[in-house]
Amino acid sequence: MNNVLIGFWTAMVFASIAWYGYLLFHVGIKGGWDILRMARALSRRAGENETP
Amino acid sequence: MTTLLPIDWIIIAVYMIGCIVAGLWMRKYVRNVDDFAVAGREMDLNLGVASLAATEVGIVTIMYTAEQGFKNGLSGAIPGVLGCLAMLIVGITGFVIVPMRNAGVMTIPELFEKRFGKRVRWLAGLVIIIGGLLNMGIFLRLGGDFLMYVSGLDAKAKFAGSLLGFPVTFGYLEVMMTGLLAIVLVYTMLGGMLSVLVTDYLQFLVMGAGIVVTSVLVVWDVGWSNLINGLWDLHQMGATMVDTSLPDKSTDVTLAHPFNPVSAFGWAWVVWQAITMVAVATTWQTTIARVLAARDADTAKKIYRRTSFYYVGRFGLPGVWGIGAFLYFWHKGGLPQGMGSLTAMPAYLHTILGPGLLGLMIAAMLAAEMSTDSGYLLTWATVIYNDLISPCLRRPLSLRAKLLAVRLLVLAIGVFLVFYGLWYELPGAAWDYLAVTGNIYLASLFALLVGALYWRWTNRHGAVAAIVLGAIGPLSFIVVNLIVPKESQIPAAVAGLSAFALAFAGLIVGSLVGRALGQGQTGSSQETRQ
Repeated sequence: MNNVLIGFWTAMVFASIAWYGYLLFHVGIKGGWDILRMARALSRRAGENETP
Repeated sequence: MTTLLPIDWIIIAVYMIGCIVAGLWMRKYVRNVDDFAVAGREMDLNLGVASLAATEVGIVTIMYTAEQGFKNGLSGAIPGVLGCLAMLIVGITGFVIVPMRNAGVMTIPELFEKRFGKRVRWLAGLVIIIGGLLNMGIFLRLGGDFLMYVSGLDAKAKFAGSLLGFPVTFGYLEVMMTGLLAIVLVYTMLGGMLSVLVTDYLQFLVMGAGIVVTSVLVVWDVGWSNLINGLWDLHQMGATMVDTSLPDKSTDVTLAHPFNPVSAFGWAWVVWQAITMVAVATTWQTTIARVLAARDADTAKKIYRRTSFYYVGRFGLPGVWGIGAFLYFWHKGGLPQGMGSLTAMPAYLHTILGPGLLGLMIAAMLAAEMSTDSGYLLTWATVIYNDLISPCLRRPLSLRAKLLAVRLLVLAIGVFLVFYGLWYELPGAAWDYLAVTGNIYLASLFALLVGALYWRWTNRHGAVAAIVLGAIGPLSFIVVNLIVPKESQIPAAVAGLSAFALAFAGLIVGSLVGRALGQGQTGSSQETRQ
């Protein structure tokens, strides 16, 4: 068995689980705010277009 | 027989209703094709990360990456590591994506028109559509297989019904996937990219939770040291299982070197994957669609850097589920009749996921399937309208007619998927099929994009030669391998590598010939970038 390769894959798998877990909370919270900001920007733009 | 309990059904129903409501909510913000195709270019960093990650992980991704783990152990996750490096390098340097975003175009072929004229744009659009639709063609079948096996249902079960008074037999899988696609079609047709972004966000959350929980459970169930030692011992003894998923055709699946990708696949395959991953990061239209929807080039680069490590898990985590399936069925004495390397993983998950978790897993995979389908439907419809139909029109369509045309194209692609996707039988490894069909356009357009943006001698002759020659390798792979016996078939790595070599050779030789003839150049790389 090649211990370097096993160490590499072990680190990759466990780091992936940790990274997915972290992104779930980080992007989960901030992505929600992004949607609200995008919706506000699109509403504002629509309002500007309708103004004569 | 399914073992879904009420708690599982509640989780699935809440998720589905949430997605439909969110998708329909965004419909009111769509006022023109720009809003529909690129969300009015208002997408910010974290929403971009969620959308890109959700789109690039579908059930099809889970299935083929798990199959890689089943056949090749952890070596099968190497495309994920290469993909991570490619995304990181592009995200740091801005290679291709910064000039693409700054050009203010909606699709890659639109950029080519600035430099090479309408014909090259049209040809590039055609190649993108052929490669993209063939690639997407197997999504529904694999997604359906997964959902049936993980729910404990018989994937080949049928029921009798009637259509216009005629008695007909329907497969549960076909009916279920058609229904799922119909839901995706409704919100994608009405809300376009805006609906896709918001539903992608929900799907990212549900899918992420499902992937983390399932990965922890699989590692817990097998035990990490058992997994490592088991893989090595089985590889040493040349463990082989018989895949009987295709009727009248059984295939031996022998576990390759589980830790060393070069020993498992050979250098040619690894190099092909490395080049493909750089091409995917810079050229794959569904990925580039997020670059074009980003607020600015810096946001696009940040999305790439932030999403890069996601690619390791994209291959690595379902790969571990596939390894768990190999070890489980090996200890059970082999795969059951009718099961193969693709369907072993969901059947294994069905045995370890309990009530509630099974519902979460199914909701997560529905999320994965829906986000991928919606993103791909929208992207290919936009390319067909923008690059194939629009350049042929004598006068531009009205705003209403444009939106209607793109919406009808989304519907038409959906109909194509139902027929091609549910009837096509996959001849080999799913990942090889996806990589080769993707290469039909990846090789051509990657070479051309690099030439258009960074080599001022590139001209129309080189562009046409790159597109045509780059598509020949993968297309001949698909056609030849359908005709000749297995021992004479072209290896996927040879087809893929030759596609890139032919595309770059065509670009260089064609451009030099065009330059010698004193024609073909319609703009400079600097102008294209601006």
